[in-house]
Amino acid sequence: MVKSFIPGTYEEALELLDKNEMILMAGGTDLMVKKRNWAGLSPLFDKDVLFISELRELKYIRKSGGFIHIGAMTTLEDILVHRETPEILRKAVLLMASPGIRHIATLGGNIGNASPAGDSLPVLYILDAKIVIDGKGTERMVPIEEFILGPGKVYLESREMIKEIVINDVRFDMIHYEKIGGRKSDAISKISFAGGISYKKGRIDEFRCAFGAVAPTVVRSRKLEASVNGLGAEEIKKSYAELIRPIDDQRSTAVYRKKVCMNILDEFLDKAGEYK
Amino acid sequence: MSDISRSINKQDTNAKTSGSIEYISDMKIEGALHARTLRSTMARARITNIEFPEIPTGYYIVDRSDVPGMNRVKIIFDDMPVFAEEEVRHIGEPILLVVGEDRAVIKEIIDGIKVEYEPLVPEFGYVNSVIHYDYEKGDGEKYFKDGSRIITGEYKTGYQEHIYLEPQGIIGIFEDGKSTVIGSMQCPYYIKNAVVQALGIENDKVRIQQAATGGAFGGKEEFPSLIGCQVAVASMKIGRPVRLIYDRVEDIESTTKRHPSLIKFKAAVDEDNNIRAMKVHVSLDSGAYIGLSGVVLQRAMIAASGVYTIDNLSVSGDVFETNTVPNGAFRGFGAPQMFFAIEMFINHVAQELGEDNLEFRSRHLAKQGEATSTGGHFRDPIIMNKMIDKVMEMSDYKTKRKQYSAKDDFRGIGMSWYLHGCGFTGSGEQKHIKAVVRLRKEKDNTVTVLAANTEMGQGAFTTLRKIAAGVLEIPVERVIYNNPDTDLVPDSGPTVASRTIMIVGGLIARAALKLKEQWVDGEEILIEERYKQPDYVEWDDETLTGDAYPAYSWGVNVAEVEVDKATYEVNIRNLWGVYDIGKAIDERIIIGQIEGGLLQGVAYGTIEVMDTKDGRIRQRNVTDYIIPTACDCAPVETVIMDNPFPLGPYGAKGAGELPLVGGAPAVALAIENAIGKKVMKIPATPEYIMELLEND
Ligand SMILES: Cc1cc2nc3c(=O)[nH]c(=O)nc-3n(C[C@H](O)[C@H](O)[C@H](O)COP(=O)(O)OP(=O)(O)OC[C@H]3O[C@@H](n4cnc5c(N)ncnc54)[C@H](O)[C@@H]3O)c2cc1C
Repeated sequence: MVKSFIPGTYEEALELLDKNEMILMAGGTDLMVKKRNWAGLSPLFDKDVLFISELRELKYIRKSGGFIHIGAMTTLEDILVHRETPEILRKAVLLMASPGIRHIATLGGNIGNASPAGDSLPVLYILDAKIVIDGKGTERMVPIEEFILGPGKVYLESREMIKEIVINDVRFDMIHYEKIGGRKSDAISKISFAGGISYKKGRIDEFRCAFGAVAPTVVRSRKLEASVNGLGAEEIKKSYAELIRPIDDQRSTAVYRKKVCMNILDEFLDKAGEYK
Repeated sequence: MSDISRSINKQDTNAKTSGSIEYISDMKIEGALHARTLRSTMARARITNIEFPEIPTGYYIVDRSDVPGMNRVKIIFDDMPVFAEEEVRHIGEPILLVVGEDRAVIKEIIDGIKVEYEPLVPEFGYVNSVIHYDYEKGDGEKYFKDGSRIITGEYKTGYQEHIYLEPQGIIGIFEDGKSTVIGSMQCPYYIKNAVVQALGIENDKVRIQQAATGGAFGGKEEFPSLIGCQVAVASMKIGRPVRLIYDRVEDIESTTKRHPSLIKFKAAVDEDNNIRAMKVHVSLDSGAYIGLSGVVLQRAMIAASGVYTIDNLSVSGDVFETNTVPNGAFRGFGAPQMFFAIEMFINHVAQELGEDNLEFRSRHLAKQGEATSTGGHFRDPIIMNKMIDKVMEMSDYKTKRKQYSAKDDFRGIGMSWYLHGCGFTGSGEQKHIKAVVRLRKEKDNTVTVLAANTEMGQGAFTTLRKIAAGVLEIPVERVIYNNPDTDLVPDSGPTVASRTIMIVGGLIARAALKLKEQWVDGEEILIEERYKQPDYVEWDDETLTGDAYPAYSWGVNVAEVEVDKATYEVNIRNLWGVYDIGKAIDERIIIGQIEGGLLQGVAYGTIEVMDTKDGRIRQRNVTDYIIPTACDCAPVETVIMDNPFPLGPYGAKGAGELPLVGGAPAVALAIENAIGKKVMKIPATPEYIMELLEND
């Protein structure tokens, strides 16, 4: 029999987690779909379940120094309306799911789910997000690209959980966000894109961009970003083209995904030129 | 008397919006057992052996050997087995039911059953024709020989899934030698006839009751007959009620959908740029069983010339059997496929001739008195010119069309013209349906409508009550219409084919008139009316010629779109529609039908993607099968023009299917206008639009 635990405090949650391997249940908007069973039967959990979505200690957005700290159980809706939320993250969240889902779905859940189509991820990548992972006495912090290993796979020990997401409060001079889904709301991304650029004396000082849903994990290349100043638009596009290797699936085609990524990058580079 | 079109509260609104209504899955029936279906995992195979785990007491396997009557579901063409026989013919085909009390145990049993298959070669293409029809109007052969200009076109349409509110669900009860089946349905008597055949028992030993139905769109026309038979067989075998309620994924993967089609045209054009003759061929993919496909094919074929008069027509069509889930009834019933194709083709012909498409289409537009595609006649006034003028004025069509055609800014506007024949094709009403309705005046001076037509959100109970109340000149609250129960109501036919208001409402109006004449306060009076085909209707089933329908509803739509240059996504900015449905019995209900139908049609033409891989549907849940959300609804402006049909109640014709028909062509034509490329298939997805733009 699978047992459910609803800890009253974060402390208690960590203790429970330390004793027992458990499935972490945040808003459940991914989990309940994945574990769905014949209606009338309990969901298909094979381990005990720890309900963490109501832990108040994990619901916050705080600014400190050049960083913004978001508690893992902060809901998407709270992120959407918070004044410290970076504009590009707000844009991404606004296009996620539907209002009802956003009120229960959490940022920690979106990261923990590690879907190639997770819409917060490209934004978190370009904001150099770090994931604070906590277990009893084992707090550690890893960059998001090291945390997400592949579809549904994260770098997390069985007695750990995501406590917080720390993002760089970079203020880009220009941002660009695109989500392409099958319809205008409540759709899984076929492609998503987040980009930001800052200038110094008419030259690009910071160039960052990331593509979602076109590879097993988000595509971001720091190496390429560092070299853009010396490259022309065509060269930049060619380099990204090599990194983007989408697939055919029931939602779209590889050819379309690739082509549209290039078009979006084109638009982004165009816009970058205009800003100069 | 107030105008019948003035809206009143819909009978089912309060219960549906407050959540108090009981859908089939909410029904608690004493002692009911659960059932779950074991399905084929092969597209085509011979079942060589089925190995069962140990079945605990209180759990049952129900399969074809339990069917006491005929193991065939009665649906016009009786080729679908109730439970699979030696050969399974599509993935998801029901082989047997596992029935019992505890769902977890049922699942365990299902998981423990091992079916051994000997694979057979499946067919997925347009190869095996199982039904062929053709008809001729005039004699067009010479025009294809004498050097007139020949223009061809080939169009494709995809699947469409109903996504009705609640998945299929049905409960069977067998008591004292009598089988009762309750469920979400459109056609209680279809199920009754099917159950009678499957159980092989007397007609009066089968009773069907409609449960609240949240939506159907044709998906609950013939499919419930299959599961109705299954629970009837199971409850008879076991002696306890059996409920079979589908999950959404199971529903999407294994129930009927709109037939994909391939439609080919060949037109001969004379020196004055008029189409002299046309050859049309329709291919429909029926999936693994024919079911209603032949009738769907007929409706598609009859619509071959759209709203245009083509003097010489040669139309043929085939139903092709494939090893995929069977396709069936869906709002429009073949017409959405054909109207997409013909509207595109007419525009493409105009384009190739270098003619203004409006001018070209107007010249060919059918007029009152002219011959229909099948050589019948448009007897009643056609007010399309007025409707077209109106919709162009509302949408500023001409200015925008000119502007968008000249500019390369990826904006476009398109207009579709269409009609929909009301009621069953040909003499279907007279020969097969033979509708009967009764009105019973009770002692307390209320009047009960006794008819088998169902409420499924479309407003039938409200509008049919309004008709009776209007004729009787009594308050509508005094007219009662309950969910049909075949033990209590006569067979007034199925709730399909845009027939309910015109045909059944017409019978109710006539019965009401009689009742009014015989009215005596405080007495019970029973009035019966039977359908009589209008004298002027002449139809030949063999040659498919004559009056295919007693009346036609008409529509025009304009869609305005914007295509994103980087992502090829279509943003529908505005939709307009003008309709001739005779007379609206309730304006708000009609607007609901129109806006919902139009949106469903537009989505059919753009975002609703469904395909198969190795015979299996790839979009199996509502995450992957996309239907529009509120955010995807463009503003819709609607005008309904009165054009009363003398034989319809208050002049009403059909309106249920019509609004879906024009959506796809209007939006596809707008996309063409925006991107300057011919759209040859729907859904016109961003992926397809990219292809069109890339393959220069
Ligand atoms: C209708 C619908 C629409 C959706 N639309 C979108 C969309 O547009 N874009 C999008 O990206 N997603 C979408 N989703 C998916 C989902 O809503 C999001 O991924 C959401 O952010 C998940 O959060 P949750 O709190 O519900 O996670 P849960 O479902 O509770 O958990 C998801 C996973 O993360 C793990 N997890 C949760 N919390 C932690 C933690 N603190 N530490 C470690 N692991 C943890 C869980 O164990 C689980 O594996 C949609 C879902 C639905 C049902």
